Amino acid sequence: MKRQMRAVFFAILLSLIGVLTVSAEEDRTHVGDEQNIAVSRLVDEADLLTDKEENDLLETLDEISERQQCDVVIVTVEGLGGKTPEEYADDFYDYNGYGMGKDRDGVLLLISMEERDWRISTCGYGITAFTDAGIEYISEKFLPSLSDGKYARAFEKFAKLCDDFLTQAKTGEPYDVGKMPKGSVSPFWIFGDLGIGLLAAYIVACSKKQKLKSVTNKITAQDYTVDGSLMLRVNTDRFINKTVTQRRIERNTGNSSGSSSRSGGSSTHTSSSGVRHGGGGGKF
Amino acid sequence: MSDIMEYKCPSCGGPMEFDSKTQKMKCPYCGTEMDVKNFQDGQQEYQNGDHEKTDSGSWEAVGSGQWQEGEKEKMRVYSCKSCGGEIIAEETTGATTCPFCGNRVVMKEQFSGELRPDYLIPFKLDKKAAKEAYHRHLKGKKFLPKIFKQENHIDEIKGIYVPFWLFDAEVGANISYNADRVRVWESGDIEYTEREHFEVQRAGNISFRNVPTDCSKKMDDALMESIEPYHFSDAVPFNPAYLAGYVADRYDVEKEQCIERAKRRMKHSTEIAFRDTVQGYHSVTPSHSNIHIVNAKYRYVLYPVWLLNTKWRGKKYIFAMNGQTGKMVGNLPMDKNAFWKYVGAWGIGIGAVLYALQWIIVLI
Repeated sequence: MKRQMRAVFFAILLSLIGVLTVSAEEDRTHVGDEQNIAVSRLVDEADLLTDKEENDLLETLDEISERQQCDVVIVTVEGLGGKTPEEYADDFYDYNGYGMGKDRDGVLLLISMEERDWRISTCGYGITAFTDAGIEYISEKFLPSLSDGKYARAFEKFAKLCDDFLTQAKTGEPYDVGKMPKGSVSPFWIFGDLGIGLLAAYIVACSKKQKLKSVTNKITAQDYTVDGSLMLRVNTDRFINKTVTQRRIERNTGNSSGSSSRSGGSSTHTSSSGVRHGGGGGKF
Repeated sequence: MSDIMEYKCPSCGGPMEFDSKTQKMKCPYCGTEMDVKNFQDGQQEYQNGDHEKTDSGSWEAVGSGQWQEGEKEKMRVYSCKSCGGEIIAEETTGATTCPFCGNRVVMKEQFSGELRPDYLIPFKLDKKAAKEAYHRHLKGKKFLPKIFKQENHIDEIKGIYVPFWLFDAEVGANISYNADRVRVWESGDIEYTEREHFEVQRAGNISFRNVPTDCSKKMDDALMESIEPYHFSDAVPFNPAYLAGYVADRYDVEKEQCIERAKRRMKHSTEIAFRDTVQGYHSVTPSHSNIHIVNAKYRYVLYPVWLLNTKWRGKKYIFAMNGQTGKMVGNLPMDKNAFWKYVGAWGIGIGAVLYALQWIIVLI
């Protein structure tokens, strides 16, 4: 609780820094001094989670972080105080002393409710483990839940994917373009498939059942037509009119096919405190 | 007391019957065979009046006063010429077997005058063939209750000459259609759809021959229509000797009633035939249609049918086989449990395979 309070304190502080951009210089250094203090890996400033969800999630994050020796952090805030999500996430990471080892290995997910921004910031080994393509992949998985307001589920997914990505990175081949985690099929499909199967079986069964019925009224006299008796006195096909309609064809001027041609790896930038970060973000 | 005709073997006096295999009269006791014509000549008296009815145009050509007294009684009593026993038959029965001595008898008056059929198709297939056809009919039926198949008893099997009215008609039709031809092409970013509208008219005639409608109230219309078609080419002028050994009924539904059914079928076929002449369009809808029967004739014939009866769980099942072509029909009971078991097993199986396939596609 104490750690959380402190994190909240720093968060508020950071927003203040954002507002007072000019005079913020000393404050930043001040914050930087305390970077070795371990801050909670879950900061729910926007209060998106219940207490129980917070506890469970924090437990998960701590467990993964310790096991993987790489911090996995989730931060929610009300607003960014004028900063870009990238700046805010990087600064939050740097000034709160996240990151393990000398390279400050870790990954941070920032959610800001004001403009509905999300941002993933990576550092140290996190940059290696989470490539640009990897971050895009992860975001695709948790964004739907996030957009629906199912925050706990979105964060759980994020944590689990981080775990998977870190494990994969340990093999020396992090997930990247052309090598993404295998997908999975939702168990709900069992019902869908069962429905399709039953319907197909029912149709086949009905056609077999139909064989039991062989007594039907005849509605035509085809069998008794005198061959060649059809004589036509009138046989005209008169052209009446012609209409031409036109429609503009919607063509996908495919610019979204980039993922296949994109090169792998992580793009990086340097944060205000001079630390190299990777990451990615967007709106939800 | 009605007049009865019986067919005694000239050699041994046993009852002769028509044999479908040899298409001759045969004595089952001494094996004597004779062809129908010679036999009939030997049976004296029967005058071979040739009255083929080819009345045209009017349907009201024939009055129906002839057998009204017969309608008053539901049953008739005949006395067997061989043994003198009393044969009780329905008022429409035209041929039967004496229950006492087994003599084949034909009630002459049932087929005389107006009631005399013009033609008849003799039985081509015998009782054995009917039984075989029945067993074949039960094969390959997935949901037929197993017990029905195993018990597999035929309560009764009889060869019946069923009375039919045959109608010949020339049908005139004048049908208009709205037809559309559609062409789609692309030019640059624009897709063009060209629709050409046509007014298509077809007028002319088509002929139908020997469209049958059964005219026995006892026979189910759908059952009789299901064993069609009959091929009239095998028909022979009526001769009561063919009836020996079979059951025969005379008609009790007037042709005026039957013609409606035949007309409906002919009109429908006419529509199909005319529609088939409208080719080369993407959509064709009839806009105006006038179909009328121009020229019509009728005949009264007897067609051969094998009827098989069976009872299962208190319900009667009737099967009919075309005595000329061997076509077998008859509705069969369904095993509901087997049906739903099949749906369940295959449904779950297919569902599981689909789910597995989805996983395979995702993982590859």
